[in-house]
This record gives sequence, structure tokens and C-alpha cells, in this order.
Amino acid sequence: MSADASDLSLVRRVQRGDKGAFDALVLKYQHKLVKLVMRYVRNPAEAEDIAQEAFIKAYRALPQFRGDSAFYTWLYRIAINTAKNAVVSRDRSPIEYDLDRNNEESYDMQGRMKDSETPEGLVLTEEIRSTVNAAIDALPEDLRTAIVLRELEGLSYEEIAAAMACPVGTVRSRIFRAREAIDHRLREVFEGGLGRAEELG
Amino acid sequence: MNEELDSQLSAMFDDELAPAECELLARRLSRDEQLKARWGRYAVIGAAIRSERGVRLNGALAGRVSAVILAEPVLAGAHGAHRTAVRWWQPLAGAAVAVGVALGSVLWLRAQAPFAGAPPSAQLTAAASVPAAALVPTASAGAPDSYVVPRAPAVRPMVPSTELANYVVAHSVFSSPVARRNLLSAFMASESGTAAEAPPDEPERNVR
Repeated sequence: MSADASDLSLVRRVQRGDKGAFDALVLKYQHKLVKLVMRYVRNPAEAEDIAQEAFIKAYRALPQFRGDSAFYTWLYRIAINTAKNAVVSRDRSPIEYDLDRNNEESYDMQGRMKDSETPEGLVLTEEIRSTVNAAIDALPEDLRTAIVLRELEGLSYEEIAAAMACPVGTVRSRIFRAREAIDHRLREVFEGGLGRAEELG
Repeated sequence: MNEELDSQLSAMFDDELAPAECELLARRLSRDEQLKARWGRYAVIGAAIRSERGVRLNGALAGRVSAVILAEPVLAGAHGAHRTAVRWWQPLAGAAVAVGVALGSVLWLRAQAPFAGAPPSAQLTAAASVPAAALVPTASAGAPDSYVVPRAPAVRPMVPSTELANYVVAHSVFSSPVARRNLLSAFMASESGTAAEAPPDEPERNVR
């Protein structure tokens, strides 16, 4: 299995003029990118603006992307440079994301309270998190382990198969079923009204 | 929704789908809004599990980027044109290199040829025609076959001049014995050869 094959197939489509394929790349990496940019700026809204700028720069530079490195690695560099430039131009000092454990909770709450433009945004975020966590808790043990190893630990299917002593095909099936179960709960939340006016992701 | 398709989407999201399947699914993903929404929710699930701090899961970032990209010029052919630009000159460059090598070889051979004035092909033809002409006489039809050995070309040995021999003898103190002997042997041999071929009146002139 070649790593980054899915990203590369989407990138090639964008390079051939398919803008819809770029949406998929944005949906996949927007959270990671905002999280990355937040090492440089305090404000999540500002981080989103920088991430947006980075995505647009990436789109414009895609004709030069040859696929020598992984797409995310390339995007990561663009985002870092964009964030650094933003910090310099706005004359703000960067902050380190790696806070010690004692300050994590206070930083988390402080950041979100300060940066949430509307209380609804914060509520929805908490609603999504609690929904996902509740859905994970309700999963059978084998599905929960598979999805957590994948999403939290970042293990490949092969590594998860080795850890769970099962075939790779079983891992793929378990992760898919876990996602389906969580997604089912998540859709109920969005269709219930909280996320109706919001973009997913 | 097709369960197999969703299973493939989940695997593709994790970069665990075969490249050929990725190509097909990427095409569908870029056009199918339902599939794209599911893909986006997979990303939300991952972010929620990782509890990515400060990231607003309800942010409209993807929508805003999509709106800007929609107004951007299409990249159609940009990558393809680059690839084409790389490709079109490759055969021409190869041909140019081949022609250059061939031309260089011809010029080098011409410079190395013993008769620089004559074309190499003419020299080769002439060389090849000599034994052919000797072996196949211009006999008329019905004449008996005859086999004539062609006359060997006269080899002209290196003949040291008398002046050189005299010089070597006069300066024998400074020349090595072997070199001196070789030179004198060659000189004597040439003298005897010349004497043998000389007309009969020459020896008489030498003997007094």
C-alpha cells in the first residue's frame, strides 16, 4: 500500500482542473492545519484565516507540486510560512503550543472563551465532542480499540492488525463500522438543529 | 448509500486504499456532495477523538476556501502542460545528441584517414577492388580459369642516410652500443640491397 496515494489521487484531479477534489483535501486537513497554525497565533479565528490563506496558496501552487513529498508535508510548510509571515506583519509574538500539563486546561478554556465569536459556536463544539465520545463509549470493544488506535495513536492498518492479532481486512472493516456508528450519532446532532446552519468540519 | 463504497471511503481517508481504487473514488468524491459530506464528518470524528484544542469544529473554513477557489482560474492543464513541456523536447534532444555523436565520429574518422583528401568510401572501394581485379582476370568467356597471385606491394624499408650513419660513427662515444649496432646493421643491409638492385655498371664505378 503506497502512503499518500489517496491524497495524490485528489491532488492529480485538482491539477487537471477538478476544483471539487480540492474541497476533499480541505475537509480532510483543515483541523490539522488550524491546530498547527495555533502554535503561532492565539486566536482560533485568526488561525482559521491563516489556514484559509495557506489553503489558497497551496491551491495556486499545486501546478508546481510534483508529489516528491507527501501532500500534507508540503501543505504543512506552506502553512508554517504563512503563519510566520502573519505573525511578523501583525507584529505579534508567537506562542508555544506545548504547554505544560498544569496549564493545558486553563489554556484550552481561555482560548476557546476568548476566541469563540458566538456562544453557539462553543456549545456546538462541545456538543460534537460529547456526541463523539458517547458514541465511542457505546462501541463494542474491538471497534473502539481499532478506531482509537487509528485516530489517536495514528497506527496503520497493518500495525493495528498486529496489535489486535487479526487480519488487515478485519481492521479495515472494524474502523469503517466504528466510523459509521459514530457518524450516525453525529448526523442526528446536525439534523437536530445544532449544526444545520454550520459547515461540517 | 453503498456500504462497500463507504468502506472504501473510510480506507481512503486513512490512506489505506490501493492507488487504482483511490483514482476511481477520488473522481466520485469530487462530484458527489453526499460522499464529500461523509468524508468531512470522518475528519470531524478524528478531530473530536484527538480533542484538538482550540479548533472550532463548526468553523466554516472549508466553505470559505471553497468559495475563494471557485473564483480562482481553473488549473486545467497546468500540470499536464508542464509534463508535456518536459516531454516534447526529450526525443528532440535525444536525436540531437545522436546526430552530434555521428557527426563527430565521421569527422574524427576523416581526420584519422591516411589520405585525408580522398573520401573514406573511395579509399575503401579502391582497396577492395585491387584483389578482386587481380583474382578475376578480364578473360573472355570460355577461357580456362587462371589463378594469379597479386603482387605484394613494395615495402620500403627505413633506410638511414649515409650522413646519419657517419654521424653515429663519429659520435659513437655518446651513443649506446646497441643503438649503434642496429643503425649500422640497417645501413649495411640497405647498402647491399641497393647494390643488388643497382645497374651492372655501378659496381665497376665503385671499384677502382
